[in-house]
Amino acid sequence: MNASIVLIRHNFALLLGEPGPVLSRIGMPLVLITALRPLYSAALGSAGLIQAVTGMLVLFSMLGLSIIAGGILTERSWHTLDRLRATPARPVHILVGKAVPFGAVLLAQQAAIVAYAMIAFGLRAPRPDLLLVAGVSWALTLLCAGAALATVVRSHGELSAVNDLGGMFFTVLGGAMVPLALLPGWLRAAAPASPGYWALHGLGSALAGDPAGTFRDAAVLLAVAAALGVFAAWRIARGWGRNRLL
Amino acid sequence: MLAAEGLVKRYGDRRALDGFSLSVAEGEICGLIGHNGAGKTTFVEVVTGLVRADAGAVTVDGVPPRQARDRIGLAPQELSLYLSASLRQNLRLFGGLAGLRGRALRTAIDDTATHLLLTDCLDRPVGLLSGGQRRRAQAATALLHRPRLLLLDEPTVGADPETRAALLDLIKRTAADGTAVLYTTHYLPELVELGASLALCAAGRVIARGDQERLLAGLPGHLDVTHADGRVEQITTPDPTAALARLLADGVRPSAVDIRPATLDDLYRSLAATTR
Repeated sequence: MNASIVLIRHNFALLLGEPGPVLSRIGMPLVLITALRPLYSAALGSAGLIQAVTGMLVLFSMLGLSIIAGGILTERSWHTLDRLRATPARPVHILVGKAVPFGAVLLAQQAAIVAYAMIAFGLRAPRPDLLLVAGVSWALTLLCAGAALATVVRSHGELSAVNDLGGMFFTVLGGAMVPLALLPGWLRAAAPASPGYWALHGLGSALAGDPAGTFRDAAVLLAVAAALGVFAAWRIARGWGRNRLL
Repeated sequence: MLAAEGLVKRYGDRRALDGFSLSVAEGEICGLIGHNGAGKTTFVEVVTGLVRADAGAVTVDGVPPRQARDRIGLAPQELSLYLSASLRQNLRLFGGLAGLRGRALRTAIDDTATHLLLTDCLDRPVGLLSGGQRRRAQAATALLHRPRLLLLDEPTVGADPETRAALLDLIKRTAADGTAVLYTTHYLPELVELGASLALCAAGRVIARGDQERLLAGLPGHLDVTHADGRVEQITTPDPTAALARLLADGVRPSAVDIRPATLDDLYRSLAATTR
């Protein structure tokens, strides 16, 4: 059993010990899709269902980022992250140990949303493999963003503010809440700056069975994930020394 | 087992370690004492590989610390446990990371919990344990895998007498099995109880090293003379017995005499006087 497996098992146990935040982020989007679908359908016609599903998926997975960042920040405040660094576990083991359980939560959230939309509203997914590519690339981006965020904030209050404001900003900018076509022109031009934009596009392309669009958007997301992941690994390997949390 | 030579660590303009050299042999308990900011914790962080020294060299069991982490047991100064997880989950994690598994891990958890009087706490969240139980739990995570080098950074801060006794007893037994122990503390009587050798550090370096008797030998003892009128005269002198003989020869007739040899507290105070 290597260090990653030990850490994965431990972090799954921690998550299961406090299931409330995870369950709420899986349950709430289902409620909102049900409530908002008629609105989106009225505005976009047949594309309304896809907008409702992918929009809520991106919105709530971005809000789910707080679970990832909060989990890592809690380790910083408990001093367990430094303690782990003093064990034979390497930084990559520590990151993988965190990433797998949180990644499973993100994928479970996506699966629940898509499955619900298929069963309740007849959403069609002609290429599940493309959906998997889009979902996994988005989950990896969120994991790395959450890890990076947790290494720079200094308190749970700061994390909450950054996550709430940043999550809503990038969600709106990416077109997850208000369809891009209805956004002002200057905001539409800035939309590609949001990872949410590429996630929304990628998921839409996957649901439309478009491999080229799906892979292009996944590649952009994976590049963002790689940059954030390298930063998070570097920050964790370096530690925080005597710089205490607030 | 532990060999550090000429370590230097700078934080900005401040030198936390400034030529820090120290060796600890197998089975030895070495008490590392010094003022706050003397470099004790920074040294422990360098030995665990958490902090990289700017200069100098350190080896654990003949290899750099990063390659010897499975042979090091660490109980940091600050509590570092998963508060929402049970003690058993914490022990399973740190034991697993140290390479223990299966039956060996289960046995180590049960044995360590028994020695540290934690058996009844194993399945309770660490966040619900008392301060003393948390201190013992922290030590348990360091001792679980029978490390070759045990680093205990002020492990008994805030601990009750029962916790302190259980910890010191297990540390003595661990050292008797051949583990090198580096023990930082401000509670000097603990070092007497442990029979520890001493390393006095100040300004980022070790300024005195040896066993307690040798380091105390050069310090003055105390002679308290209570006179017939109730007045108490306190004399500090290298040879209290000779001083008493001189007083008696001078015709002094005390109603009571108390001769005390130098203690670790005296050693610590003399260190404070010379290095502050």
